[in-house]
Amino acid sequence: MTAIVVEALVKIVLLCFALMTAAAYLVLLERWIAAWVQDRLGPNRVGIPLTKIKMFGLGQPLADGLKFIFKEVYTPSHVDKVLYIVAPISILAAALATFAVIPFGSVLPSDLGFPQPDGGPIRLVVAPGIDVGMIYVFALSSLAVYGVILGGWASNNKYSFLGGLRSSAQLIAYEIPLGLGILGVVLAAGSLRLDTIITSQATSGLWNVLVQPLGFLVFLIAAFAESARLPFDLPEAEQELIGGYHTEYSGMPLLLYLIAEFLHMVTAAFLIVILFFGGWHFWGLTGSSDEIGWGTAILRVVVLVVKVLATIVFMMMVRWSWPRFRFDQLMALAWKVMLPLGMVNLVLMASLVEYGEDITATWGRAFLIAGMWIATLLACLAAAWIAPLSGDNRPRMDAA
Amino acid sequence: MNWLTDKLGSLGAPGAWIVSHGPQATLLLATVLGGLGMWLMLPRGNAGGRRLGALLAALAGVVYGSQLVPVGSDEWFSEAVFLILAAVTVISAACTITFRNPVYSAIWFALTLLGTAALFLFQGAQFLALATVVVYAGAILVTFLFVLMLANPKGHAYYDRVSWEAFLSATAGAVMVGILSITLMKAFTTSPDAPKLQPPSAEALEKDILNTEHVAHLGAHLFSEYLIAIEVAGTLLLVALVAAVSIVGLDESSRRAERAHDFHG
Repeated sequence: MTAIVVEALVKIVLLCFALMTAAAYLVLLERWIAAWVQDRLGPNRVGIPLTKIKMFGLGQPLADGLKFIFKEVYTPSHVDKVLYIVAPISILAAALATFAVIPFGSVLPSDLGFPQPDGGPIRLVVAPGIDVGMIYVFALSSLAVYGVILGGWASNNKYSFLGGLRSSAQLIAYEIPLGLGILGVVLAAGSLRLDTIITSQATSGLWNVLVQPLGFLVFLIAAFAESARLPFDLPEAEQELIGGYHTEYSGMPLLLYLIAEFLHMVTAAFLIVILFFGGWHFWGLTGSSDEIGWGTAILRVVVLVVKVLATIVFMMMVRWSWPRFRFDQLMALAWKVMLPLGMVNLVLMASLVEYGEDITATWGRAFLIAGMWIATLLACLAAAWIAPLSGDNRPRMDAA
Repeated sequence: MNWLTDKLGSLGAPGAWIVSHGPQATLLLATVLGGLGMWLMLPRGNAGGRRLGALLAALAGVVYGSQLVPVGSDEWFSEAVFLILAAVTVISAACTITFRNPVYSAIWFALTLLGTAALFLFQGAQFLALATVVVYAGAILVTFLFVLMLANPKGHAYYDRVSWEAFLSATAGAVMVGILSITLMKAFTTSPDAPKLQPPSAEALEKDILNTEHVAHLGAHLFSEYLIAIEVAGTLLLVALVAAVSIVGLDESSRRAERAHDFHG
């Protein structure tokens, strides 16, 4: 009993520390990438304090954090005092709690030199026994909307309120394609556990992105929308809403919002990698069994982190490559394009699992994969034909 | 307690009943106190007494707590977790119905749902716990919030300040809680061959939905024994969906017709 509690606490402390540091440095990375895309220098001055050493600006997150901490927490007089403080806390709590079931590696070697709590090797995930890991992530991501709505409402400000409303509509709409994308993966692995999903990809050597590109497309776009990254950042569109739901915030509460936002992005990147890109698996490097030594254990963590970082860099590049959607385009994309595509993927995967199980020959598999890609292409063409998004960008004349 | 027994004995028949039914009488007292407290706390126009109501309800909670059956000392950790979760759930449920601002009520309700989900999780019902969060807290309550914020941004309309039939609802709640708790207490204490609280059997851990393949077992149960119920529920939802879409569609086409009418005529 005590050993399990200690094990969980150690993992929680490690994870929180790593996530907070990662969020701080991801802000720096985002600013560097923004500067690089826009052909300017970006933050490169802050190094070690009181010296002239610059270190490429690696001290910048520390300075940013200190600035946030020492700023006055100004509460405007017209806000709902209690909810104004509760909202950012709740969104950060939900964002952090998501990581309870997300594995940050595989397992530790079984000969650790000290007795292990429950017999088996220590798994690198805070809550290893949860059999419904995928639904847990889904449930907590659906709780994230509370922080945004409440923050927008409590601020008692039209821009904030509009941001909150936009956000709730957007998050509810995109939860459905998100779920459909997840369902295909769950069908393929036959389990809702994230570590089982990774292991099944590792043993077969086929990453899910190869087998179900359509599901990946749907999930990727829905994940962008759920983490409110550009081109889906309508809840806080600066040009339209100043800052959206956190217009009135400053100091620490604003910092909580910003960290939660980055954590949503990190969660999305982890899920993309775990569900579709094989998690800690890489061909010829990591193997697939649970009986491993220290070298493989560390290598798996490194592979996972590198993949996640690559995904995050991709998300940051997308930010500077795409213009923002208009709100009716956003909704049309969710309901008229993403939902049918997700359904198509689900039906394809269900029939594949039902009838394609006994195909073991390499050629048979290659044909299956080719068939899935062709089906993806056809489905996308059909969606573009039936529900074109960019046919007419003029203001709608039929609006009431 | 002797002087109390003597005093009660001098009261005649009611006193004798109380002496012979000690635990039940305590629960009855707690139920009456709790009902009264909830009635005072419910929003009733400008009537006061909310603090007194909160005090009474808290007292009722303490009296209920004094009747808890203690478990073995090696289980203190899990019992403490259970009690904290239960307290959070009950207190936030009370706050849900007593707060006057509907947005706050919705938030307290969300906390109630989280507490309930945690209790489910604590009992090993992982899927049920997370389904509660996804469906109620994640979807339904967000829609509530959405509507509340759009409908009445200032809060505190007249109909937010009174609860309808405060007395009847407090009484009904108290009667239900009282009957349930007294029945449960009887079942667990008085009769000698009563079922005792026991950890789950090894068989249940091995084969049933408490084992590690929780969802697989749950799915097997749902799609074999309860297949018809599942299909009927699915059809019902589909019918509701179609109905909603058809209402929206009707509205839109009639509005178009109106606009065309305005334009031409």
